[in-house]
Amino acid sequence: MSAASQDAGTVTPFRRFLVSDHLSGWAFILPAVILIVVFGILPIVWGLILSFQKAGLISPDREWVGFDNYARIASDPKARQAAINTITYTALFVPISILAALFVAHALNRKIAFIRFYRLAVFIPVVTSTIATGIMFLWLFDKHFGLANWLLGKAGLGPFGFFEDPNQAMLALVVMTVWGWLGFDTIIYLAALQGVPQQLLEAASIDGASRWTSFWRITWPMLGPATLLLVVWSTISALQLFDEVFFVTKGGPVGRTSVVVFYVYKLAFEQGLGSLSLAGYAAAIAYVLFLVILVLTLAQFWLGRRVIHYAS
Amino acid sequence: MKGRLLVVMAMFGLLMPACSGGGDEGCTEDPANGQFCLTFWHGYTDYEKDWLNTALDEWNAENPKIHIDPLYVNNDSALQKLTVALQGGEPPDITYQYGSSLAEVADAPGLVDLSDWVNQPNVNWDDFIPGARSAATFEGKVLGVPALVDNLAIVYNKTLFDDAGLDYPSPDWTWDDLRAAAKALTDPAAKQFGFAYPMDASEDSVWHWDPLLWQNGGSILNEDNTQAAFNSPEGVEALQVFTGMAVEDQSVFLDIQNSAYTNVFNSGRIAMLETGPWDLPSFPDVDYGVEILPGFDGDHQTIAGPDMWCVFDNGNGREQAALKFLQWLTSAEQIKKEALATGHLPIRLSVAEHRAFLKNFADAWPGVDVFAENLTNVEQARPVLAAYPSVSTAMGNAIVSAMLGETDAKSALDQAAAEANDALAAGG
Repeated sequence: MSAASQDAGTVTPFRRFLVSDHLSGWAFILPAVILIVVFGILPIVWGLILSFQKAGLISPDREWVGFDNYARIASDPKARQAAINTITYTALFVPISILAALFVAHALNRKIAFIRFYRLAVFIPVVTSTIATGIMFLWLFDKHFGLANWLLGKAGLGPFGFFEDPNQAMLALVVMTVWGWLGFDTIIYLAALQGVPQQLLEAASIDGASRWTSFWRITWPMLGPATLLLVVWSTISALQLFDEVFFVTKGGPVGRTSVVVFYVYKLAFEQGLGSLSLAGYAAAIAYVLFLVILVLTLAQFWLGRRVIHYAS
Repeated sequence: MKGRLLVVMAMFGLLMPACSGGGDEGCTEDPANGQFCLTFWHGYTDYEKDWLNTALDEWNAENPKIHIDPLYVNNDSALQKLTVALQGGEPPDITYQYGSSLAEVADAPGLVDLSDWVNQPNVNWDDFIPGARSAATFEGKVLGVPALVDNLAIVYNKTLFDDAGLDYPSPDWTWDDLRAAAKALTDPAAKQFGFAYPMDASEDSVWHWDPLLWQNGGSILNEDNTQAAFNSPEGVEALQVFTGMAVEDQSVFLDIQNSAYTNVFNSGRIAMLETGPWDLPSFPDVDYGVEILPGFDGDHQTIAGPDMWCVFDNGNGREQAALKFLQWLTSAEQIKKEALATGHLPIRLSVAEHRAFLKNFADAWPGVDVFAENLTNVEQARPVLAAYPSVSTAMGNAIVSAMLGETDAKSALDQAAAEANDALAAGG
C-alpha cells in the first residue's frame, strides 16, 4: 500500500476506502446495479405514479384521478375476461408442465446411449425465440394446411380449428407454451432427481417396496424444494403471459385468449393513445396483477414451508 | 491495487461505446450554417426501398445542406415507436404514419400544423387526391402530407374461373353474384376456397367490410360522431353477405393470421380476394385479374387507406428543411417515378388522370390501372377520432364472431355498437 506508507501521518478513512475492497467491489457490480435500477425499479415506481393519473403515452397531459383507475377495473367486462383467461391458462399450464417435466426428467435420469443428445433436445425449445416457436405452431396448427390436422386426419380425427376455434384456442396456446418451456422444468427436476441418495432407494427395494412406493415415499418428498421452485416460477410466468398471445393469437379469436398483460398492452399502446389516455388505467391493471402475483407467491411459499421436507 | 484499478477502468472503457449516441456517419449537423441532418422514418421494403434509395440519393446529391437520414420502421409499429421516441423527447423529423393513426398523433407535442404551409402555391394542395387530403386533416388542421393512397377491389384467379367455366367478375356484379361464384369455386376436397377474409379482428377485418356497409346506405357513426350507426338494418344486411358465405356456404378461407392468404392465393387455392394494390407483387405465380368491388343497387363505392408523412418540430429550422424535402418528394415528377417503380397509386390527380402515364403504369404493374381508376369510387372516409381504435376493436370482434358462426350478424353488431358507444362517451 504505497499511499499509506508514504504518508507518515494518519491514513484517512477516505484513503482507506479508495484502496479497500469496497471500491472495486462496487465498481464491478455498478453496471448491473445501474441497469436494474433504470430498467427495473424506475419503471415500477413510474408505473405506480401513472396508475393514479389519467394519462396517455403521446400527449404530455396528466391529470390526477386518485383511485378511479382501480375502481374502473371492477366494472370493465374486458378486464374480467382477461382475468378469467389468465387464471384458466395458469390453472392448465402449471400442473401440466410440472407433471410432464417430472415424467420427462425421470426418463432422462438414466445412463443410456445418446442421453446427452436427448437432454439437449428437450432444452432446445426453451432457447428458441417465442416468435420462432409461434410461427412454427401457427403453421403446424393451421386448420387447412397444417401438419397436425393432416396427421390427425390419418388417424380418423376430424380437422381441428386450434387457434381459429374460440373453444380450442386456449388449449392450443397451452400446448404450445408447455412445449416451449418444458425443458426448463425438466432440467430442474433432473438435477433434483440426481440428488436423491441411491442408498435410500436400494434399501427400500431390499425391504420390498414397490417402484411406486419408492417414488411416492422417498423420491417425491425429496423433490419438494424443486417442485416448490417450479410451481412458484411457473405461476409467476404464466400469469404474465404475453409474447405468444401477442404474436400468435392476438388475444383472439373474439378475445378468448386475451390475457391480462396483453390487455394492458392494448390499452396503453393501441386504444389509449390520444385523448382517451388509457395508459394510467393500464398501469392500474398491471399493479393489480403485481399484487395478485405477490400474494399468490407468498401463499405458495407458506404452504411449501409447511409441507416440504428439506434434506439435512 | 494498480492492476485491479486498471481492470475496472477497462470495463468502463468497454461500456463507453455502448453509451455513445449513434450518429449518421456522413452528416454533421450545423444549423447555424444551414446544414441539417434530418431523421426520416419509413416502412418501405424490397422494391419500394430500392425506389426510396434512388430518390434519396438524388435529393442528397442535389441538396447537400439538407441531408436525409432514413430509418426503416415497420409501419404496423410506427405509432408505437413514435410513442417511445416522444417519451424520450426525441421525435424524428419526418415519420410515415397510417392515416388511421391521425387522431392519436394529433396530441403529440412538437407535431407541426401544416395548415398554412399547404396554401403555398408550389405545394399545390388541391392536386392531391381528395381522400388523401381529408385523411390528413384533423379537426380542421392539416397534420400530415399525403404519402400513400390505395383502395380495395377484387383480385381474382383467372385460371380457376376458366377451369370452372365461369365468367370473370364484371363491373356491374352484385354481392350476390360474388357469393354465387365463390360457392361454385369452393372445393373442400381440393382445399380450394372461393373467397378469403382477414379474421384477426384488427382494423383489417373492419375496413374490408366498410365498403359493403356504405354501399348499402349505412354508416359507421352518426352525424356528430357520438353514436354507432353500423348496426342499422343496412349494416346487418351488409354483414350477412359475409356471414352467409363464411357460415352457410363455407366458401371463405378464414385467415386468422391475416398473412397466410397471400401464399394460399399465390398457390392457386383461392379464387377471389378483396384487397389492394400492395398485394399484387405477391402473386407472381397467378394469372390474376382485377375488378372493382361488387355493389348494392349499382353503388360500387370503395374505401381508401391513405397514409401520410408527419413532421415534428425539432427546432433550429429543421422543420422548414423537412418541409422542403417533403414538397419535393410529393411533387408530380417524383410521384410519377414512385408509381412506376413501386406500383403505388399516384397521390396527385394530375398524375392519376394522365393517360400516357396510366398506360405505362398498367404495363409495369398489371391490374394496377383498375385500382387507379377505382380512386374515383372513393366517396367516404372512416371517422378520425381518438376513440376510433376502440370502435374498430368492437366492430372487428363483431365481424369475426359472426363469421365464425359464434353469434348472428344482428346480435354481434348490436353488442359492438354498445361497446363503441361506451368508448365514444368516454372520450375522443
